[in-house]
Formats: sequence, C-alpha cells, structure tokens
Amino acid sequence: MLRARPDGEVMSGSRILGLLLLAPAFVFVVLFFLAPVVLTAVFALTNMSTATGITGGAYQVTQSGMRELAERHGEQALADALARVRYTVDRTGIDAASVEGASTALVSELDRRLAGQSFDSRRELERAIKKLDNRPRGTRALKSLSALFERSIVNTRFATEEEFFDAVAGLGIELDATQRAALLATTYTGWTWTGENFSRMFSLPDTRRTFLNTIIYVFATLIVFNTGFALVLSIVTHYMPDRPAGIFRAIWLLPRISPPVLYVLLWKWLAWDTGFLSRILVPLGFESRNWMLDNPTNAWVFIVLINGFVGASMGMLIFSAAIRSIPVSLFYASEVDGANRWQQVRYVILPQLRWPILFITCYQSLSLLTSFEYILLATEGGPGGATKVWALAAYLTALNNYAGNLEYGYGAALALVLVLVGVILSLAYLRLFDFKSLVAPPPIEQ
Amino acid sequence: MTSNYRSWPMILALGVVTIPLVLMYVYLFVDTVTNTAPGSVVPHEFTGEHWRFLWETLPGRPSIYVATLNTFVFATATTLIVLAISSTAGYAISRLNVPFRAFFLAGVMVLHAFPTVTLIIAIFLILQFIGLYNTLIGVILVKAALELPFGIWIMKGFYDTVPWEIEMAGIQDGASRLTVWRKLVLPQVMPAVMALGIFSFLAGWSEFILPLVLAPDNKVQVLSVYLAALIADDNNFDMALFKSVGVFYVVPVIIMFLFFQGKLMSIYGGGTKG
Repeated sequence: MLRARPDGEVMSGSRILGLLLLAPAFVFVVLFFLAPVVLTAVFALTNMSTATGITGGAYQVTQSGMRELAERHGEQALADALARVRYTVDRTGIDAASVEGASTALVSELDRRLAGQSFDSRRELERAIKKLDNRPRGTRALKSLSALFERSIVNTRFATEEEFFDAVAGLGIELDATQRAALLATTYTGWTWTGENFSRMFSLPDTRRTFLNTIIYVFATLIVFNTGFALVLSIVTHYMPDRPAGIFRAIWLLPRISPPVLYVLLWKWLAWDTGFLSRILVPLGFESRNWMLDNPTNAWVFIVLINGFVGASMGMLIFSAAIRSIPVSLFYASEVDGANRWQQVRYVILPQLRWPILFITCYQSLSLLTSFEYILLATEGGPGGATKVWALAAYLTALNNYAGNLEYGYGAALALVLVLVGVILSLAYLRLFDFKSLVAPPPIEQ
Repeated sequence: MTSNYRSWPMILALGVVTIPLVLMYVYLFVDTVTNTAPGSVVPHEFTGEHWRFLWETLPGRPSIYVATLNTFVFATATTLIVLAISSTAGYAISRLNVPFRAFFLAGVMVLHAFPTVTLIIAIFLILQFIGLYNTLIGVILVKAALELPFGIWIMKGFYDTVPWEIEMAGIQDGASRLTVWRKLVLPQVMPAVMALGIFSFLAGWSEFILPLVLAPDNKVQVLSVYLAALIADDNNFDMALFKSVGVFYVVPVIIMFLFFQGKLMSIYGGGTKG
C-alpha cells in the first residue's frame, strides 16, 4: 500500500521534498567545488599573475614590450617610432599654454601658425617658436612652453584598443594588419590565453624534482606510519590491559586533535638550534644546530615524522575497531592449538585486516598527495627546495613566494594536475569499495 | 583478553616510542609558566611573563581577544552552516526517492575523498572577483562548503542506521515525510548531529590554510594565523611566548575533546587529515 503509486507518474511528494532538502547543498557544491575545478582548468590556460592582474588589462607601450616587438616580431622600425619622444603642437598643448599664463597673442599665433605640426626634437620646436612674433621672453619661459608639447605614448595606459590605436595614429604612424596584431600582443598588460604553463611545467628540471619529492613523501609516510605504525599501534594495544591501551591511544590521538600550527611548533621546539634535541645532545659532544633544516636528509626525516604521527592515529582507530570485531573464540582456538603471539598476529589478525588496510592505503594516499599544510609550517619546502612537494609548489607559485610576483596561471596549472589525479583516484577507489550497496532504493515510495 | 601472553614487554616497547610525543606535550605546558637556563632541560623558576599577551597587545599584531573572537565566530558559523545543510541533504540522499539520487551520492563520495586544498588557488581568485577576499564571511562560506561533503556523508551514514519502521509508523499515522523527518527521525540522529557539530567546530578552530590565504588581514585574523605570524617573525623569537599563545589556543580543543571523546571517535574514524 505504501508502494501504491507507480514510478514516474507525477512528481511525488518525497521527490519535491528531497530536491528542496538537497538544494542548499547543491548550491554550495556548485559554487565552491565545481566552479573552482572548472576555473582551475581555465586559469591554467592563462598567464595570470600579480603583474597582469585578474580582471583585465590596458594597453601600454613599455621598454620591454618594444624590445619584444623588435626581436620577436621583427618590427624594429615600428618599435623605435613608438618609443620616440615627439613635440606636437596640438589642441591640448595650446590650451595648457593659455592656462599656464602664455599671452593671448602668443596662444592665437601658436594656433594659427604651428597647430598640427610635429617636431622630432625639442630644439626644432623651440626654433620654430622663436620665429613667432609674440615669442616668450627668456629661455625659462621658452623651455616651460615647449615642455607642454612633449608627446610620447611610452608608459601611458590606454583602457581600450580604440583609444590606443587613436593615440598611435596621432603620432603619425600608419599600421598594417600584422603590425596591429603584433602591437596588441606586446602592449597588452592584462592576462592572455596561453599553453605555455604546461610546456614550462614539462621542461623545468624543478618539476622533476618536485615530482620525485612527492613520491618519496607519499610512500614513505604511508608505508612507515599511516599503515605500518598504525598496525603496530593497534596490535600492540590489543595485547594490553584496557587501561594502558586507552592511555596510549589517547596520547597518539594528540597530534590529530592539535591544531597544525601548534603541533608543528612543538616539533620546531624539539629541533631548533637552542631546542630540546640540541640541549640533550650538546653535552654528549654534538654541535648545536637546527636539526630539522640542517640538511635534506634530516628535513625529510622530520617531514615524515610530523606527518606520520598525525596519520598513524586514523589507521590505529580503524584497525583497532576491526580487531575488536574479530570473534574472541578465534584467539582462544589459536592459543589452544599452541600458536605463539607472532603466529596469532600473522594468521588470525592480519587476514581480517585486509580490507581496512586497503581502505587506509587508498584514502590516505590521496590525502597525503595533496596535503602541504605541515610541510609549509615546518620547512616551507626547504632546505633549498629539498622537501618541496607538488601541492606545496602549486601553493608557493600562486599564493606565496619571495619574488612577489604571484603566478596564478602557472600555479593553477600545477594544481590542475593534482585535481585530475585526485578525481581519477577517487573514482577508482569508489569502484574498489563497492558503490552499489550504498544506494539501495528506499523502501518507502510516497 | 588473551591472558596467556605477558603484556609488560608491549607496554615497555610502545612506551619508548611514545616518549618524544609525551615530552613535547609535557614541555608545552611546563615552558609557559617557567624559565629554563640555556643549555638545561630542567626549569629553574616560575614566571607569568610568557602570558603577557593577555594584558598587552604584541607589537604589530591584533589584540589576542580580537583574534579569539574571530576564531570563535569563524568556527561557530561554519558549524551551523554545515549542520543545517548536511542534516537535510544527508536525509534526502539516505531516505528520499530523489531523482539522480545515485548521482548525488556518487558526487558526495567523490568530493568526500577528493582533497579540497587543491582548489585553493581558484577559490582565492573567485573571492577576489566577488569582493569577499579578506572578509570573515568569505572564509566562512568556503570552509563550510569544503566540510560539506564530509558532513553529508557522515549524516547519510547515521540516517541509514535509523530503522525504517519508525518512518513507516509515522506515515501510517498520516504524517508527511517532512514531519516524519523533523519529529521522528531527527531526534534519532541527534547524537550524530552533536558529534558532527563538535567535529566541525574543532575543524574550524584548527583551520590554518584557508584563513591564511583568504583572510590574512589583522582585522579578520584568526588564532592559527596569529600564532603562525608570531612564529614566522624572526625579529622577536621567544619560544615560551609562542607556546603560551599555543596553549591559550589549544585549551578549548582539549576541553571539548575530554568532554566529547566518545562522540568524536565515531567521526575521527572517517578522518580528514593526512
């Protein structure tokens, strides 16, 4: 009777309610997941950076732009013409002269005799002015007058293409179609579309190193701590009375519940050159030094320890729960059969942990691949880039670097690689962990 | 249970491995109220000077109370949004015959497994575009959104454990699905909502990368960014001060953890950290 209404006849109550309940989540997910994923891909195809800004740009003749125009586009003559300073007697200049206090007679004579004329140098302009009947008295007056007609488009920003070309035409420069295109390419200050981020990524030796670092980081942490040590923790605490077991589990949870900034501070205190390690090792004849940043090997040991101490607790919780669910009779039976502790671990516990181990490995490989918080706080990728992993490289490139020019485009290209790997791996893991059983149809149809 | 084996070798072995961790946390508290001579590991006097940030504002930093208030607002607002949205969406995905239900669920699962920190560059640029950069609202919305797949996933799991008979009975008595959810099902999962709430609050309280990138200004600074900026400032190196600020920052976390340990365990198993 509850299944009275057949499927798909009308939009049923539960469907509308369901959509209403899902709507807010949907909006959030679209705004902060789908949009960022798509935009990461879009930004990856641009050269966006602090220098280009993010909203758009203007047209500006700059020295570097003109060098590019001459070298890349072979337009040496055009570049020279654009970079040259000219003296043109135009409306703006004449108006400025009258505001500056030039006599009415001089202004009208300028307008009558020189308006529209252009001179290649200041001296030529001044010579022309000197020939006027109402010429200014004194060199200073002449200089300040001629300065008003100095015309150059170098370092002037033009908001639109038209304004820019009008100004170029105002210099008396004629452009053909290829020159226009070359000029636009070399004077635009905003971001443009480009595929260079990817060619750059594949050609830089830095990328290879970052890639290898990432592999080392993920596998070392995953094998030694997130599964290895987590297994040790859960099995060892299993063989303890409840009280000490509880205490150990609580202690090993501390890194996970501590805020990352504080947790990494504790490690710094341990490794600092006046820190705890130095204090106990100096009396033993070691030199005082920063144990974490001293050399790449030490840095890696600390990075793996810092991440591993946090990562071990998740495996510990899941494996402990799995061991608890093994029937006690299995343990008794194995003991009656004379199994020692190692054999019990090997033949009773481990076979039961196969799926939890697989789950932890998959899940944490993905988290480790993209996590950079602890490395950023501990070494910032140092010393000398030795502990820079992929996610950290993306972050540093786009959001925080010493050079000051944040390369959003290149950073997004680096991040895009992680996004793709992340999506592919999570889809693969979904298949592995049997998705269908989770979506059994609801028994109430209303 | 397996009393045939002695347990003390195990306790001893694990104890040795655990020593560094214990030392770090013991000294965290000890160093905030004592002074230690250089080269020594045993404190020689008690002092309160490391807590001076409580009554004077440190140079170049916002007041600790401003940062604390920001952190509290940030964590609370994030929690409320996460709770409101995941308790509704989780129910819809768990129990209602929504079109594309499998699609939604797969989406949530992928997003849950998908580490969100990779999106931070695009999110940074989006917030710049829409003018929410350097505001608490912006970073709250982002943090809530990134916690959502996890929240929905957890709530879906808890709704799945509620017996269908409860809803069947409600519907037999003539209640609508909405009423059934509000009056019958929601009370059943209240412990889960509590657990998720505490978890989200602690996650918000600890969050570092998002506020660092999206709201670094002194006015909207949260405690994690405050502490990190303090540590990063090479001119004023004072480990005991850092630790005192750290203790001030972590005490609410420890208190909540001690009170709600049992509830949190059900959630940490699905953990979000690497």
